[in-house]
Amino acid sequence: MNLLDDLGTVLSSSLRLTAPLAFAACGEYLAERAGTLNISVEAMMLGAAFSSVAVAGATGSATTGLAAGVLTGALIGLIHGNLAHRLTINTFVVGLVLNALVLGLTSFLIAGATFGSRPPQRWPLLLLPGIVLLTWWLVERSRWGLELRAVGENPRAADMTGIRVGLRRRQALLWCGALAGLGGAYLAVGEVGSFNQNMTAGRGYLVIAAVIFGGWRLGRTLVGCAVFGLADALRLALPALGVTLNSQLLIAAPYLLALLAMVLFATRHRRPRALGKPFVRQEP
Amino acid sequence: MGALTLRGITKRYGTVVACDAVDLDVERGEIHGLLGENGAGKSTLMRILLGLETRDAGTILRDGRPVTAGSPREAVALGIGMVHQHFSLVEPLTVWENVILGDTGRIRRSRACAEIHEMSQRYGLPVDPLATVASLSAGERQRVELIKCLRRDPAVLILDEPTSVLTRAESAELFAVLRRVVRSEGRAVVLISHKLAEITAATDRVTVLRHGRVVFRSATAATDVAELARQMVGREVADAAALGLIPAAPHVPEKAQGDPALRIRGLTAPGLTGIDLEVRPGEIAGLYGAEGNGQAQIGDVLCGLVTPDAGTVEVGGVPVDLRTPGALHTAGLGIVPEDRHRAAVVPAMSVAANLTMKDLGTRVWLDRRRLRRRARELAAEFGVVATSLDAPLSSLSGGNQQRVVLARELSGDPRVLVLAQPTQGLDVGAAEDLHERLRRCAHDGMAVLLISTEIEEVLGLADRVLVIASGRVAGELHAAEATPEQLGMLVGGGAG
Repeated sequence: MNLLDDLGTVLSSSLRLTAPLAFAACGEYLAERAGTLNISVEAMMLGAAFSSVAVAGATGSATTGLAAGVLTGALIGLIHGNLAHRLTINTFVVGLVLNALVLGLTSFLIAGATFGSRPPQRWPLLLLPGIVLLTWWLVERSRWGLELRAVGENPRAADMTGIRVGLRRRQALLWCGALAGLGGAYLAVGEVGSFNQNMTAGRGYLVIAAVIFGGWRLGRTLVGCAVFGLADALRLALPALGVTLNSQLLIAAPYLLALLAMVLFATRHRRPRALGKPFVRQEP
Repeated sequence: MGALTLRGITKRYGTVVACDAVDLDVERGEIHGLLGENGAGKSTLMRILLGLETRDAGTILRDGRPVTAGSPREAVALGIGMVHQHFSLVEPLTVWENVILGDTGRIRRSRACAEIHEMSQRYGLPVDPLATVASLSAGERQRVELIKCLRRDPAVLILDEPTSVLTRAESAELFAVLRRVVRSEGRAVVLISHKLAEITAATDRVTVLRHGRVVFRSATAATDVAELARQMVGREVADAAALGLIPAAPHVPEKAQGDPALRIRGLTAPGLTGIDLEVRPGEIAGLYGAEGNGQAQIGDVLCGLVTPDAGTVEVGGVPVDLRTPGALHTAGLGIVPEDRHRAAVVPAMSVAANLTMKDLGTRVWLDRRRLRRRARELAAEFGVVATSLDAPLSSLSGGNQQRVVLARELSGDPRVLVLAQPTQGLDVGAAEDLHERLRRCAHDGMAVLLISTEIEEVLGLADRVLVIASGRVAGELHAAEATPEQLGMLVGGGAG
């Protein structure tokens, strides 16, 4: 093996590890522009990873599996949206509960079932450019996106103008769920070909870190995903390249990097002003 | 047949009657003034009209047809548009994006821009459709609001305290536009205000609300300022000038002497550039300017909410380390902040606890009996009306909450007292009381800094007026030589 081959291997593997993050980040980016902060991205990805493998195993079709993953993510987005933006329960509490619930549920279900392994299906990667463009167009050019941004910046003004704040936020979470679901499903069906307990291992949180790293801009958010993907690929490649490092430390590398990125960049950017703040119509 | 007719509109919040069988008739082609103190029910009435609030009883007629708006969007469809007191614009968005917000269908930028351009020509409201709202001045934002509202072609245009953030020149410009809207386009305008001068200058007819009831209506030409003031407050008002009810009379300054008790040098923070300011013992210094020009930031610095980038604050000649929490308080500065609930009180805690919060002693445990006694003394001295000292502070009226804040701040016997917009949201009685106490503080040798956007309040109380514009001190006038016109010029000059 020469250096060029090694480089190629690391790059292609980092692309494949970036993709699940990038799909989900497109969703989370849009949701955060609407002012919702949902740590349930992790639950969306993990739930979708499980359901996609289960459905793909049962039907023998990877496409059906992916679709099941998208639906699972959207369902979790729907639940989160209704709890946080209809019943106005604290969005972090909802996110924590959903994450714990999905982790427990998938761990329990996988213990009693064997889905076996299937060959990876990498073609969904081709959807990524389209999804990125669509997300950008929706946020920056469509009326729906304009209303989402208004809701994320100044929900009261949006309300006065006649925009239904809660509805827009629930819709944003639905989009986020579907894309995070696609990311999770791609990780399981497209990349690994099977489901392991807690297989997303905090990737949902990395997605949120990427949006912050990107300063609530889509392009930079994707750069953030790529950085985390590269760190992940290096973690896998280094031992094979003969570099011996503490493996526990290597596993932690992307997360340490995310932490570092947050420290360096989190306060520099202007975030949506109403991010994470519930909206309740009240006295002036 | 009126463009807008209200009959018997009633709204209760619990036991409080916000609107009590209100009748209102607004004709096409007139500017109708709706006058009342804070809390008289003006805003509630308009929120009902806009569908932000449901009414308990009454009918709304638009051109004779009974209507009910369930949401602001439905109100627009009924031909009712509103320009809000605090702008309902989304700052990071551009002007054209804000204007088309709430429409439906595809977004067409060039068409939206052309439309805005055409409207700004027609009404004389110059504005750049591609500018970001965050970069606009208060006057420009007002124009955007107006364009946004007029573009929906409302038959009835409601303006809620539209001049609270404007300079005098900007206010005059606004009223000129409203005249045009009324005369040449036959719309009806409802102008909500608590400023008498504005009502008499700009309206054709006037309706006065007091405690949720209509107490007076008249053609504006057939009444005068004194009559309106009496109707609005319900009695003769002694402190009318400082309350902005009538034009201020020349004010004889107190004799200020000695070294400054408060000295600010080169204070620079977000929104402020190199502020220099001195207040001497025994004087009331007024800091006046239109909203959004940096007064709020000075208040925040003196509250300790914001650490300045540069500059020094000296209290009694001793520099204060602003990074240490509570340093200003220890140095002998009392402050009544602009936003009570954000920075001055804990609404859910008891009246007693709020009164003694700055006087807890240094021991590990609290001397409850002493605190209780102290709270009782302060409440009596400052005339705080509460059902019980153990009731949560939030159960008190705005005026009584403000008395609690003032009592607590003065209880520490400060050298310097700073007040930011102290009478905002207070009824006339409470405001009079507060003004009287301020005069007494200054008389007793305290240095008082009054930060206000109400020109009348500043002229009525201050011995010396500093004008702030765009985050800088634009000028200083002695009370004897300060006139509204001069102040207006300083404010406008700095802002432009």
